[in-house]
Amino acid sequence: MLRSSALSLALGYVALGIVALVLFAAPLWYAWQVTIQDSRTELLQIDAQRLAEVFRRDGAEGAGSFIDARVRMQIAGERILLLTDASLHRKSGNLPAWPSNVPTAPGNYKVRIELGDHGMQTALVHVARLGSYNLLVGRDNALFAPLQTRFWYGLAAAVAILSIAGLMIGLISRRALLTRIDSIRQTVSAIIHGDLKHRLPTHLNDDELNTLSRTINGMLEQIELLVHGVRNVSNSIAHDLRTPLAELRSRLEELALIRPSPEQTFAEIDGAVADVDRVIRIFDALLRLAEIDAGLRRSGFVALDVADLAANAVEFYAPAAELKNIDLALRSDGPVSVSGDPVLLAQALGNLIDNALKYAPVNGSIEVAVRERGDGTVQISVSDNGPGIADAEKSKVMERFYRGDASRGTPGVGLGLSLAQAVAKLHGSALELSNGNPGPRAAITLPVDVTSPFALTATPQETGAGEAIASATLASS
Amino acid sequence: MKILLVEDNERVTQFVVKGLQEAGHTTDHAGNGRDGMFLAASEPYDVIIMDRMLPGDIDGLAIIEVLRKAGKRTPILILSALSEVDDRIRGLRSGGDDYLTKPFAFGELLARIDALHRRAQAVNTEIPLTVGDLHMDPLTRKVTRGDRPITLQPREFKLLEYLMRHAGQVVTRTMLLENVWDYHFDPQTNVVDVHISKLRQKIDAEFERPLLRTVRNAGYTVTADD
Repeated sequence: MLRSSALSLALGYVALGIVALVLFAAPLWYAWQVTIQDSRTELLQIDAQRLAEVFRRDGAEGAGSFIDARVRMQIAGERILLLTDASLHRKSGNLPAWPSNVPTAPGNYKVRIELGDHGMQTALVHVARLGSYNLLVGRDNALFAPLQTRFWYGLAAAVAILSIAGLMIGLISRRALLTRIDSIRQTVSAIIHGDLKHRLPTHLNDDELNTLSRTINGMLEQIELLVHGVRNVSNSIAHDLRTPLAELRSRLEELALIRPSPEQTFAEIDGAVADVDRVIRIFDALLRLAEIDAGLRRSGFVALDVADLAANAVEFYAPAAELKNIDLALRSDGPVSVSGDPVLLAQALGNLIDNALKYAPVNGSIEVAVRERGDGTVQISVSDNGPGIADAEKSKVMERFYRGDASRGTPGVGLGLSLAQAVAKLHGSALELSNGNPGPRAAITLPVDVTSPFALTATPQETGAGEAIASATLASS
Repeated sequence: MKILLVEDNERVTQFVVKGLQEAGHTTDHAGNGRDGMFLAASEPYDVIIMDRMLPGDIDGLAIIEVLRKAGKRTPILILSALSEVDDRIRGLRSGGDDYLTKPFAFGELLARIDALHRRAQAVNTEIPLTVGDLHMDPLTRKVTRGDRPITLQPREFKLLEYLMRHAGQVVTRTMLLENVWDYHFDPQTNVVDVHISKLRQKIDAEFERPLLRTVRNAGYTVTADD
């Protein structure tokens, strides 16, 4: 229990409190003692002087009766007076005899004296010599004793209250801390046992533990995402690589069994190489996806002109569009600078155009648009007049290897949209799919990089990218 | 060409050495970093093919760095199973001239070696290019076949220029994507083929002898030979 951090912290504070109390009380105590003793000694000396005057004026008899009068007047015990002759025989005063522990030499002494009905008391005495007589003037400490006792009691009570309160606070906060830590511990051990769905409990107040919990929750979120991604990728690999590998295997096995003519064998070998190429392509695409998902590519961000990027992509795909008699058009309003990875953005845009080319009908149209919007963002979109994506399929198309019913029989590995989605995510955006007018539309919105000087220094598009697009209608450029 | 192959995998070595021999090249082989470093430093080679991960304490990149520091300018092609872009950049930064990911098609390797060798022999980008009766002047950007002028779009011009600079060699689709379009990814579809067939329409369609030819399982080549 002493190893509990909350408790030892509380005990530490208690110890510190006691030390502070003592440090405060000790000088006070010392000062009090010294001051009182000094002033009392002074009072005794004044008394002694007054008696000495009486003695000088009225002789020993006068002094004796003066002392007796004083003794009778005063409250018993407060003041001690004694006048003796040279052989220490009592002349007058309220002591029966010269106390054995008080020397007869003049001076101040602190001694314990038997004081009639008060018993033994500590008293401060002053001894003086009046002619051949000895005078003892003193006061007992009885008056100050209760004050002293009260001081000590007060100090002890303060220490006790401090200790108990500290211990209570320590125990309570230890309990509170343990409760919260225990819930964290339980959550974490659930996570260790493989259930990544759990999150640490958080409260509304923003204390240190809560902030920590939130940070850890964020970390768990990311870990879950990554683990999910890895699981997805391995599932996908298992599923999608098995198919072409199985085909390859049966192709080779058949070849070994049948042993056909050389020409046919060579044709089969070519087919096998194509199968392997397909496997490698899927592999590469998956690795790249995993790499993007892990956020490793952010180091490759540079300032780039998305309008130029789009123009190049449109130019690249134009002949393929022409082949299907599809009108591939670019709509852009001049250079727009963003911060991003040029290779990945080109690939994402390429995949979107490629996708549109696959699904747009013959004689259809595809529009690639780069629109700078008022809120400091730029939207790159690809829309076509094809059949579009059913709402139910929308989330599925971004899943790895998902291929819609309409895509059966078209080439591709089913990673295009998930790659575009991953690239958008890496750039802090998302791939938005909508069914616009006339057909489906895929868009990525990026923040415009205003700090980059690119927009000003952007080179004019390489000798008119527009010209190169044979059938492209350039809406505005 | 005299080529040094530094590679520890026996199958890959066998496959590459045999292929290079058939293509008429002399090949030396080193199976580890130490031998590779020794051969590369002491013998004159036209091209070095360097596996990135080698057994022992010296890896491919370390050898390249040492060679470059020693002032050796031999073109080096890095072979690696690491395909991530960062690895590629690290490979090229260490002094490699080109990077090829395993597994690779032999045609791709051969084409890249040829391109590296050609590049090493300082190319003058201003002299007119000629293949058979096809002429290209990079300065005036005029292209003629026989006495007939051919009008090309800028990108078609760049495509043809790249092919003609590597006349007689096989140029792969990946090389075209990287060098003509600067696209470092696989566009999944046969877009490069469509660009080639458009170019072919312009330079070959009306002539008897085709110059732009398809090399099966590898890529394309521009040549006047039969």
